[in-house]
Amino acid sequence: MTAAPYNYSYIFKYIIIGDMGVGKSCLLHQFTEKKFMADCPHTIGVEFGTRIMEVHGQKVKLQIWDTAGQERFRAVTRSYYRGAAGALMVYDITRRSTYNHLSSWLTDARNLTNPNTVIILIGNKADLEAQRDVTYEEAKQFAEENGLLFLEASAKTGENVEEAFLEAAKKIYQNIQDGSLDLNAAESGVQHKPSAPQGGRLNADSQPAKEGCSC
Amino acid sequence: MANTKEESPVDGSTLSSNSNVPSQPNNPLSRKLNKILETRLDNDKEMLEALKALSVFFTENSLRTRRNLRGDIERRSLTINEEFARIFKEVKEELESVHEDVQAMSTCCEEMTNRLKAAKEQTQDLIVKTNKLQGENQRLEVRAQVAQAFLAKFQLSSEEMATLRRARDAPVTEDFFKVLSRVKHIHEDVKILLRTNQQTAGLEIMEQMAVLQEKAYEQLYRWAQNECRGLTQETCDISPVLTQAMEALQDRPVLYKYTLDEFGTARRCAVVRGFIDALTRGGPGGTPRPIEMHSHDPLRYVGDMLAWLHQATASEKEHLEALLKQVTLQGVGENMQEVVGHITEGVCRPLKVRIEQVIVAEPGAVLLYKLSNLLKFYHHTIRSIIGTSVASLLMTIEEMHLLSKKMFFNSLSLHASRLMDKVELPPPDLGPTASLNQTLSLLREVLTSHDSSVVPLDARQADFAQVLSCILDPLLQLCTVSASNLGTADMATYMVNSLYVMKTTLALFEFTDKRLEMLEFQIEAHLDTLINEQASYVLTRAGLSYIYNCVQQHTAEQGPLSLLPSMDSSSVKAAMVQFDRYLSSPDTLMMPQLNFLLSAAIKEQIFRQSTELVCRAYGEVYTALTSPANTYTDPETLLPRSPQQVQTLLS
Ligand SMILES: Nc1nc2c(ncn2[C@@H]2O[C@H](COP(=O)(O)OP(=O)(O)O)[C@@H](O)[C@H]2O)c(=O)[nH]1
Ligand SMILES: [Mg+2]
Repeated sequence: MTAAPYNYSYIFKYIIIGDMGVGKSCLLHQFTEKKFMADCPHTIGVEFGTRIMEVHGQKVKLQIWDTAGQERFRAVTRSYYRGAAGALMVYDITRRSTYNHLSSWLTDARNLTNPNTVIILIGNKADLEAQRDVTYEEAKQFAEENGLLFLEASAKTGENVEEAFLEAAKKIYQNIQDGSLDLNAAESGVQHKPSAPQGGRLNADSQPAKEGCSC
Repeated sequence: MANTKEESPVDGSTLSSNSNVPSQPNNPLSRKLNKILETRLDNDKEMLEALKALSVFFTENSLRTRRNLRGDIERRSLTINEEFARIFKEVKEELESVHEDVQAMSTCCEEMTNRLKAAKEQTQDLIVKTNKLQGENQRLEVRAQVAQAFLAKFQLSSEEMATLRRARDAPVTEDFFKVLSRVKHIHEDVKILLRTNQQTAGLEIMEQMAVLQEKAYEQLYRWAQNECRGLTQETCDISPVLTQAMEALQDRPVLYKYTLDEFGTARRCAVVRGFIDALTRGGPGGTPRPIEMHSHDPLRYVGDMLAWLHQATASEKEHLEALLKQVTLQGVGENMQEVVGHITEGVCRPLKVRIEQVIVAEPGAVLLYKLSNLLKFYHHTIRSIIGTSVASLLMTIEEMHLLSKKMFFNSLSLHASRLMDKVELPPPDLGPTASLNQTLSLLREVLTSHDSSVVPLDARQADFAQVLSCILDPLLQLCTVSASNLGTADMATYMVNSLYVMKTTLALFEFTDKRLEMLEFQIEAHLDTLINEQASYVLTRAGLSYIYNCVQQHTAEQGPLSLLPSMDSSSVKAAMVQFDRYLSSPDTLMMPQLNFLLSAAIKEQIFRQSTELVCRAYGEVYTALTSPANTYTDPETLLPRSPQQVQTLLS
């Protein structure tokens, strides 16, 4: 209706999962505030943050849901997987147990998200090299075997934090471009401005019946 | 010339002769001659000229010509003079003509001078006028500049007017806001005029600006309203211009509010539709599956709905924050709360209907309890986004929370009353009844879910007492009733066992200290009974019971103990033999009920404390029987063991 410029063309929904204390909240905080929050309070249930970033020249708003890793919140956090376009699955490179639990997190993620959901594995606390308990190589191999993107990062130094969110976003964007992610379906985890240029054959699909408001 | 030549030698000779003849100076002729001779003809120009002129016509030196010379010269002179006169006459005539011309010119000049004079006289007035006009002109120009400046300050340019008056549905642009703010400024500035003597202008401009402002606001309102009305997609990116429009509209609270209402209504539609889609359609290719697909799993079903709403609420709050980013109005926070409340109001019905369905289907106490905790958690979570709890969505969630809690307690009470309906007899092993075990496992489940509840600690503690009393109080009652027909030891054993399982169940959970303490007291009361029972059991079996009773009830009036029936030395001796047997193997004397005790520690405690009682009893018997007043002969042989020895043997 108007030619007014918009702030962004897409919204991607992300979820951050992983054991308690691996630094999920710190990663989110580092990403949205560019600061390390050393005394981050325990996450109660689910919290969220947003940031607009550029992906292949498109402004994309990331809406990120940070979940509590504690078992007692598992039932609650499971509900947030639905409709996530990207999932950051985090472990702590200095605590092997958090790495060992990955398969359980991955199972949840696979069962509860859609097949196009981009999952990136993140080995956090890469700044604590001296205390390393999980090698880069084995995690890399795990990621490859399971078709995950992989990065080691540090919420403390900020190393690879930006990249982690960006890598996932790029992959999602690619899925949109090659048409494997259907934007028109509800809860694809991606929302798209009608005014923004659409990629590839998405245009060919007819708009879903979204006219007429009945309330 | 020839003459001159001729005469020169004569002159020379004359000169020489003169010098030779100085003797005759006064002779007139000579004087004359001398004078002639002295005449230097070549120096007399006049003479030369005359001679030259003469040479022209005197060409023939003859007598006749010489005689006629005078006449000739005179005639010639006359001719020349005549010629002269003639020429001068011409000159004169010319001069006269010139004179005439000059005369005419003079006349003309005079005339012109006169005319000029006249003209000058005439223009004098004009010049004065012109000067005056020029002065006027300058003044006017200054005034024009002032007026121009005035207009520039207090009026809109035609482009600005055009910007304000653009077509209804034309998009509002940056310029529009610039003009609007100018109108506003003019309206403000013009107040200065009211303090000067330009009040009329001031008032007029003020009114004009007021009218323009109203028109502009109305136009802006229409545009913003229309813009908001279109925001019914799930995606909702607020354009910066719309944000600016809200900033401008805050000066007109009514329009501002209507626009917000429109926004709220549009978003409300979007959220309802999104919610219904999530419930019934799910994601692309069916993943994530529609939420309703999980309606068989109540916790997941309700959890998914609430999580969806939590996320939607957070998004809507963000949209609203973007929309009202530049609004500085007081109470904008409350505005947001109100609008988010309005936006999320639409989903209340579909949500309520579904949750009610789940609750009413009686999914069992534990599930109801989990549901109520989940609802409480989301109430808390969503409230922290909306910022108030008066929003319909929160009230609905709270209502569902209370309903599920009520149904939970109902379910517990129902369970309890069923227990009381058919009281089970204690089993032969005096252990907890099946219904006790079953109820405790229910409690355990509830407490487990409570412990793992997502609800914050303080909130969790609140309804804890209620859960416990709802389950424990009927249970205690149940145990007491079912134990009522038992013997003392059986009853106490049964009660201790039942209380013990309750205690161990509770001990695993937080916030049970008070209850645990109460159970502990009750256990102790029954323990005392058991200790006494065990002690008398031992005393009876060890043959000390009768003697101990006699010693206890003995009074001085009865005389010495040894004289009482069956208290003679031999009877006492027989009893002591029996007691000695007990001392050699104290463990064998144990009430059968003690073996039913579930807790080895309790059993141990009863055994220890009852043994102490036995020791004390022996001590009393020993003191009494060794007393001389009771007249036993040789009491040391009668009672070979001192109380200390007994104590040592038994501990
Ligand atoms: N050294 C180091 N510490 C980190 C890093 N990220 C998080 N932490 C610390 O790890 C702890 C848990 O972080 P938090 O973000 O709360 O973990 P969450 O439970 O996964 O959200 C906090 O004490 C952080 O200070 C990191 O990259 N390096
Ligand atoms: Mg956290």
